This record gives sequence, structure tokens and C-alpha cells, in this order.
Amino acid sequence: MTGLWTAIRGPAGALLAALLLGFLVVLAVSDDPLLSYRQLLFASFASGANFALYLNRAMPLILIGLGVALSFRAGLFNVGGEGQLYAGAIACAAVGIGLPHLPAPLLPLAAVIASALAGAAWAWWPGALKLWLGVDEVVTTLMGNFVALLATNFLVTGVLRDPAAYGATSRLLPASSWLPAIPGLPNATIGLPVAVLLAVLGWVVLFRTVWGAGLRAAGSNLRFAEAVGIRARRDVLSAMALSGALAGLAGGLYVLGIGHRFEQNFSPGFGLMALTVALLARLHPLGLIATSLIFALLLNGAAYMQIATDVPRSLVDVLTGLLVLLMTVEPGRRFRRAVTS
Amino acid sequence: MTAAGLFAGAALSQTAPILLAALAAMFTQRANILNVAVEGMMLAAALAAIAVGQASGSIALGVAAALGVALALAGLFGGITVGLGADAIVAGLGINLLASGGTLFVLEEVYDSPGGLRPDNFPDLPALQGQSVIVLASLLLVPISAVFLYRTPLGAALRAAGEDAAAARAAGISVARMRLLSVLLSGAVAALGGAELAMDKLHFFLPAMTSGRGFIGLAAMLFGGGTPWGTAAAAFVFGIAGAAADRLQAWQVPSEFVLMVPYATAVVALTAARLRAIARLRPAAVRPVRPTDVKPLAEGDPA
Repeated sequence: MTGLWTAIRGPAGALLAALLLGFLVVLAVSDDPLLSYRQLLFASFASGANFALYLNRAMPLILIGLGVALSFRAGLFNVGGEGQLYAGAIACAAVGIGLPHLPAPLLPLAAVIASALAGAAWAWWPGALKLWLGVDEVVTTLMGNFVALLATNFLVTGVLRDPAAYGATSRLLPASSWLPAIPGLPNATIGLPVAVLLAVLGWVVLFRTVWGAGLRAAGSNLRFAEAVGIRARRDVLSAMALSGALAGLAGGLYVLGIGHRFEQNFSPGFGLMALTVALLARLHPLGLIATSLIFALLLNGAAYMQIATDVPRSLVDVLTGLLVLLMTVEPGRRFRRAVTS
Repeated sequence: MTAAGLFAGAALSQTAPILLAALAAMFTQRANILNVAVEGMMLAAALAAIAVGQASGSIALGVAAALGVALALAGLFGGITVGLGADAIVAGLGINLLASGGTLFVLEEVYDSPGGLRPDNFPDLPALQGQSVIVLASLLLVPISAVFLYRTPLGAALRAAGEDAAAARAAGISVARMRLLSVLLSGAVAALGGAELAMDKLHFFLPAMTSGRGFIGLAAMLFGGGTPWGTAAAAFVFGIAGAAADRLQAWQVPSEFVLMVPYATAVVALTAARLRAIARLRPAAVRPVRPTDVKPLAEGDPA
């Protein structure tokens, strides 16, 4: 029990500090700061519809965050989650719109596989450039984000565009490809339970398999891992591709379960938020479920806060930035660095 | 003006913000900090420049506000990376999130216009030959930073802190102070980049208007090998590529592909830089010495 407390003490402190700082901001700008924060934290539970929307928003965070955890554990900084999410979403929409006559169980399956493959491809090339040539993966994955968003914009305003809809929106996918809802929650897609299952599976793979142990060894010291016979380079590259596949899958599940079409602005910045969520969970797949649920609460609540009060929803973006900064300055980590360096 | 002159002007306009971002990243790189926070510092500076320039009607105050905001962010970044030992990449991304969230929050809360801030009339930056003073300043900054880094004791100390912290410490240099200095220099230069982006010609601020120029500057710096002249040359390659891509639109190339050019150039450039470095290392590091390589010295051969 004390072990758990030690593990969550830092992240919980950072979260509370960020919320407190955010409250000071709200106090300064709002006529009714208490109502603002009540909406931010509790409006997601006010009705079944709100709650379903909340669960839907947690799904991409868990999946992309899991990918972040996997790549960071393997020693690669994949900060291209947003681009991989978009690659997956557009591939899923393209399959759904392009192959409408596939029989029902095959169509969503093909679309989901396409989304994972697209995301994996979009993470693979920065990983390969890093491992083969030493090209900095932080810069290449960030560049990849911009390129992916431009490419999806080209497709969704071109071949995939819905001529009847306003803006950058694709045609509707055939209903045979839509994912079912969670029983009892009509608007909540089964994407969230899938994401939670994958996170548990991710924990098993990372901490209870030989491959995961080798990966973590490679993440802390690639040359050492190679020297003791782990085929580290290949494993790290697969982890990178897998990380992209998870982000791509998030895009696919979003299109099939929530949007039923591709919309260019469907993500409120899930990629960088998922990075925050993963860091907050200290790159632990199970902790990630909890931090994603907390973060989705803020993300979803901010929309209700903006409607009910005079505080804009971008407060959450400010909180995200504060949280990342607070996370990096944990006193414990500073001590550890001082000892090892 | 001739067509070539127009193109040169367009290329220079595209180069200036990238050059400033690249120089900003260069200062911290020489102190061994990979600075992804340039993007956020530029963005916050751009909003400050437009907001204060609009309120005061003064160019000078707008630029001063840009400097103030970017230096505050740089101080925060330097404080937690240098002072508290935080990971520079994660902290830099945190600064970027804070800047993008903060600018959006200010737009919504203060100006009630999440789409951007477009003052009705905004003073022009003083210009020479159609290029603003900030563009000219960015060009002057290249030799200035070369002199600073290679011809002054402070610049030498900064580089020493980056290249070998332990040796620098032994030589009596305060490594932490040098790193903090590099981050603050980087903030000041990034502020100019943000001010140039928003105040020159456009006269408005849009959310996320830096659109990755900070990262492209970072790539240009890495491509240029972290030296002032190399970095400047790389920034010009990016600026010329951007201006050339704009011309493609005349041939019905979709705008998305035109806009992709700088990002794709960054990836290609970084790959090329690594290939170059590896090619340089290869003969000694990888190829085993074969017996035929060692020829016995013949009589009279120069040793």
C-alpha cells in the first residue's frame, strides 16, 4: 500500500497543484468561479448523454497514451501521436467509404486494420530514420504531425468530401461499419472498453513478457541490450510502429464509433494531451487508465463550463501546459538525477 | 521590381522567422539543450506584439512586449530545466502547450474572439527596400552571434559548458549560469521571430500561427551543424524552398502540398545531415583494416 502511495504521490500532487493554479485563474476572470469549477469537474456525470461523451473522449487518450508509454519505455520520444491518430482516422474512413459492399463483420474489421496499419506506418519511418541513421525522432515526428494533418485536409476536401456538408467533412460511413454502443449507454461506443483492455494487455506485455523486459532494457541502454544478445534495434522499431498503430487505432475507433465520418477538426489536440496523460501516469499502462479518465473529465467538463459560465474552455489547454511543467519538476526526480550524475 | 527581385524578397520574408527560430535554437544547442520551446515562445511573443501594439499604437512597445513575454517563458523553461533538472524536451513541449493554451485563453477571455486578433489599423514596422527592420536585424544577428560565440570570453564559456560540463566546471565556469544565459538569449531571439511573423505585413494574430516554424528552425539549426553561418545557410534553404513552393500554386498544385514543403524539407535535411556525418566517420570507424591497406614504405617515400 505504501508502494502505491509513493507512486501516485507525485502525479496527484502535480494534478492538484495544476487544478489549484487553474482555480486562481478562474477566480480572476469569472463572476462565478465555484460554478465554473463545479461544471468542469462534475458536469460529465449530470446526464447519461454527458457521461457517454465523457467516456468517448477518454478512449483516444488511453490508446495514444499507451503508445507514448510504449515508445518512451523503448527509448524513443514519439511525439507524433496527433499525426498518427489522423493517419489512422483517414485510412479508416477511406476503407469505410471505398468498400461499402463488404459484408458487415468484415467492413469494420478491415477499417480497423487499415487504421492501425496507417498509424504504424506513420510512426515507423521516424523510428527507422532514428535507429538506422540517428535522425532526431522528436523533430521528425513533430514534422510528421503537420504533414499528416495537411494530407488528411487534402483528402477530406477532395475525394472523400461530403458535398452536402459544410466544411472539411467526409461522407458518412455505411451503417454496417459502425461500432455498437456500451449496453445501457446509447451514445458511448465500445471503443473505451477496448482501450482499457488493450492497456491491461500493454501492462502484461511490458512487465510480464520477455519481449517487454528486453524492450525496457533497450530503452534504458540500447548498446548494453545489444551486447547481451537482445535484438534491441528490431524490437525498438517494432515498439515504435506499435505505438503508432495504437494512435491510428484510436483514430479508427473514433471514426467508426463516434463520428461515423472523418472530420478534419475532430481532435482537440488528443496527441499532446495523451503525452501529458502518459507522463502523468509515469509511463505505466495501468496508471494511464486512471490519468486518462481524469483528463477526459477536464476536457469534457470544460465544454459545459464554457456553456454555463463565462470561462472559456481553453482553460484546459492552459492546465495541460501547467501540468506538464509541474510533472517535470518533481523533487524526487531531481534528487535521483543528482545522485546518478 | 524584376521577377527575380520579387522572388528574392519573398524568399527573404519566408527565411527571416525561420532564421530567427534557428538562431534561437542554436544558442541553447551550444549549451547542450535541445530547445523545442522556441515554437511556444514565438507564438506567445506574436500575440503580445499585436495586443500591445494595438493598445498603444506603438511598434516599439509591441516589440518590447514580445520580448517580455518570450523572456518570461524562457525564464520558466530555463528555471525548470537548468535549475530543477527537468527533461528539456518534455519541459519544452510543456512550454508550447502553455503558450498555445494561454494565447487561446487570452483571445477568448480578453478579446472574445477565438478566431484571432485583427486590429483595424496597426502601425507598420519601419522598412528598408520593402524588408522590415526585424528582417534586417535577423541578418545582422548571424555575424553578431558568430562573433559572440567564437570571439568573446562569454561565448567561449557558453560553448565550453555545452561541450564538456565537467571540464568547464573545472575551469571555473558556472555551467548552470551559462545554460540559463543561453536559454534567455534564445527567448529574446525567438521573440523577434514571433514579432516579425505577426507585425510585418500581416498585422494580425491567429491561434497557432507559428505553425511549426519553431520546429523547422530547430531542424535548420541541426542541419546547419549548430554554427551561425551553417544555421543561416540552412534557414535560407528552407525559406527559398517555401517561396519556390508558393510559386507551384500557379500550376494548380493543391495548397496542402505546397504547405508541406517546409516540413518535408526539414526531414530530408536532417536525414542528409546524418548521412553526411556517417559518411565522414565511415572509413575509420567501420571498415576493417585489410593487409593491402598497409604498404611497406619504399626507399625514398615521404614518411
